[in-house]
Amino acid sequence: MKVTIERATLLKSLSHVQSVVERRNTIPILSNVLIEASTDGQFRMMATDLDLQIVDTVAAQVEIAGATTVPAHTLFDIVRKLPEGSQVSLTAAEGKMLVVAGRARFNLATLPRDDFPMIAEGELPTHFELPSETLKQIIDKTRFAISTEETRYYLNGIFLHVTDDAQPALKAAATDGHRLARVTVSRPEGAIGMPDVIVPRKCIAELRKLLDEVDGTVAVSLSASKVRFDLGTAILTSKLIDGTFPDYSRVIPTANDKLLKLDPKSFMQGVDRVSTIASEKTRAVKMSVENDKITLSVTSPENGTAAEEVSGDYSGPSFDIGFNARYLLDILGQIEGDVVEVHLADAASPTLIRENDKAPALYVLMPMRV
Amino acid sequence: MSIRRLPEHLVNRIAAGEVVERPASALKELVENAIDAGAQRIAIRLAEGGLTGIEVIDDGCGMAPDEIALALERHATSKLPNDMIEMVETLGFRGEALPSIASVATLTIESRVRGADGWARTIDNGVLASEGPAALPPGTRVKVEGLFARVPARRKFLRSARSEYAACVDIVKRLAMARPEIGFTLEHDGRRALAVPPGESRAERVAALTDRALVDNSIAIDYVRGEVSLGGVAGLPTFSRGVADHQFLFVNGRPVKDRLLVGAVRAAYQDLLARDRHPVVALFVELPVAEVDVNVHPAKSEVRFRDSGLIRGMIVGGLRAALNAAGHRSAQPVASGSMGSWTREDISPQPSLGYGAPASGILRDRHLDFSAAPSARAEPAYHPVPEQARFPLGVARGQVAATYIVAEAEDGLVLVDQHAAHERLVLERMRRASAEGRVAAQTLLLPEVVELDEPGCDRLEMRAAELGELGLELERFGPKAVLVRATPALLGAGDVKGLVTDLADELAAYDDAVSLKERLEHVAATMACHGSVRAGRILSVAEMNALLREMEVTPHSGQCNHGRPTWVKLGHGDIEKLFGRR
Repeated sequence: MKVTIERATLLKSLSHVQSVVERRNTIPILSNVLIEASTDGQFRMMATDLDLQIVDTVAAQVEIAGATTVPAHTLFDIVRKLPEGSQVSLTAAEGKMLVVAGRARFNLATLPRDDFPMIAEGELPTHFELPSETLKQIIDKTRFAISTEETRYYLNGIFLHVTDDAQPALKAAATDGHRLARVTVSRPEGAIGMPDVIVPRKCIAELRKLLDEVDGTVAVSLSASKVRFDLGTAILTSKLIDGTFPDYSRVIPTANDKLLKLDPKSFMQGVDRVSTIASEKTRAVKMSVENDKITLSVTSPENGTAAEEVSGDYSGPSFDIGFNARYLLDILGQIEGDVVEVHLADAASPTLIRENDKAPALYVLMPMRV
Repeated sequence: MSIRRLPEHLVNRIAAGEVVERPASALKELVENAIDAGAQRIAIRLAEGGLTGIEVIDDGCGMAPDEIALALERHATSKLPNDMIEMVETLGFRGEALPSIASVATLTIESRVRGADGWARTIDNGVLASEGPAALPPGTRVKVEGLFARVPARRKFLRSARSEYAACVDIVKRLAMARPEIGFTLEHDGRRALAVPPGESRAERVAALTDRALVDNSIAIDYVRGEVSLGGVAGLPTFSRGVADHQFLFVNGRPVKDRLLVGAVRAAYQDLLARDRHPVVALFVELPVAEVDVNVHPAKSEVRFRDSGLIRGMIVGGLRAALNAAGHRSAQPVASGSMGSWTREDISPQPSLGYGAPASGILRDRHLDFSAAPSARAEPAYHPVPEQARFPLGVARGQVAATYIVAEAEDGLVLVDQHAAHERLVLERMRRASAEGRVAAQTLLLPEVVELDEPGCDRLEMRAAELGELGLELERFGPKAVLVRATPALLGAGDVKGLVTDLADELAAYDDAVSLKERLEHVAATMACHGSVRAGRILSVAEMNALLREMEVTPHSGQCNHGRPTWVKLGHGDIEKLFGRR
């Protein structure tokens, strides 16, 4: 293999694939990136962690076609430090790959490309396209609620499913057992009969990074066990979480009669301010709801107390309710409008938070007993 | 096959199977008899770990000749003068031991009541061998020879003489600990193995039988609640052991083995010791005889309490109170091992690296060597340093390696590990602050169903209110599952199933939710660790003194969160020894 490629192109492509590679691997070849050059000027790079695979294709001057694998992080670090605007030549022969740029030369150890594991995609019957903006919105508004608890592996991702209601919809939900986030968008064409899938957290994180560079649409193909996102130059393929997502619709409260409307900015700032004093682990904030007045307060046995009044729109009986400040801030951070609706029932029941009944996103938060 | 009544000698051998299973159990019965006879001194001789010979000599009340004959009958005893078996105050009461032993060995009883003549009677495996007058001081001498010599089935199951001997020593130690007022001697194959004088205090006796250093490293316990009293000694947390072999429980002077003790001790030392360290404790519970049933086990090593919750509460409360009162104490003095490592340096020029060293192929980082020779930090004294070293931990004099505080106390030199000490202080402060409120609980969006066996669910359900206080809200969900509605917010979104399963097991084993408390404690300890002064930070004299003063008034400041000492003292005597002045 002999290839010459511009440093900037190579760096961008490498930055796409290298973050899939884990820092520590028990299987040595998983630390490597597969480099493939074909005679038609296609230069492909591929990385995998056995659950997630990314392929990035760019154009390059190919003198001799071929393929090899080299340590991904090392190559990325080298290319990152090469002078800007330089031409990088990659030559692979006899178990080594020579990287030359200007006056710098690196000879890297390689592993045979035939050992590189590929994810067998199999049949991906469902196929639809989503605007990248929509996909970004789905991810941004739900990913904070993804659980990191490995024992409940079926919560370690975003749940995607379609419904056949009056308005067919694609719904995305994530929960960690304490809060739930759900985004509803209209069902794209081709998504009819889509199986319910759980897209794992790492795939979501990689996808979100790549989306920043994509305009237009993203092609999504999936089966019950695999999903593929086609983002122009990059193609991301991931295994799906093999588990059953809980029936989350029954925890979304429908009869919360106490409606509180406030300005999300001042509410968020208030919560942030009073929680300064909360102990770093629990971060419990108490909300005392009265007529058109909400008092946020925190009592910490070590640090003292804090209270802030936030004006809001409320008429109903006064009562107290506690929340985890971090959870509240996560949710409020996703509200874009000028008003947020908080639907309350009592101090022990799930609370519904959303911008309004038209908003695509809704959040359910369990209170904290303080 | 017709049913028949078994002959007497067979009945005795069956009974012997329960009461006498090895030399140690025969020895236990004989020593208990001696104690019940009101002896002041008890001498024990063993041959080959008791396999070939056991001899117990006491100076107790003795027996008349006709009583000796009766004592060797089954169910004959002097210890139940009326028929109130619930009110028994002596160690024995079943009247089974002597005939049982006599049925499987050669048993000789010689006894003399003060002011009368002595008499001897020998029974060889259940058959009277000889009888006649004997000459001995007042008291009783019982000799057992050839235990199981004619019961090969049993003999085969005995272990080596060495391990049988170890079991015998354990029995004697337990009984001797229970009765500090009685003197004990134990000879094994003519060698004196143990001797404790009569009339010792409990603490002395416990120390003599476990570890001499315990005297300086223990706290006396004296705790009375109603008719129940708890006494004894508890080792300081820093004086812990790797195995739980030095934990003794005595109920009304009777050594017993009880699971209750294990759980209660663990609960009491919970945050003071690492999980794999075990404290040394000897606890003496005295309670009205009607409150405890000793007639549970033929060897009487187990008892049953009418109100075991109360006893457990007493032990935990008593230990806790004593440990709190111990405050900043920590294991002292410096272990002799580390004292031995103080060595005098020969004053000779150090071989210097570089010039003289042979040029080797190894690359070595060379430091430019322009830094000044190490010297003590001189610091302007803004506050006059208090000269009178009236404080238990003394007055700070400086810092070594930016890690240890050196302080001078009236009676020696105190070294304090600044990180370990401050970590403990922060933890204690956090604990005091959080003691008032309930633990905050985060309710779950999707209540988690945890499947368990039925008794496990019952136990959890019974303690649901207590667990709720700790932030874990659960309720019964059918016969074999519990539903978890809320978890302690401190633990985050952790593994609920694992926690609940552990708890159910622990409630069975220790009757206490140890692991929930431990997990909460662990989070607190981690926070304390991050929030405390690290090793390597340079402290001013005022800061050091403040730390020392706070340690003196904070309970449990003698050990860090992992059970290691936070400070050690080098007494003046120790320092003088180092210089050969003593």
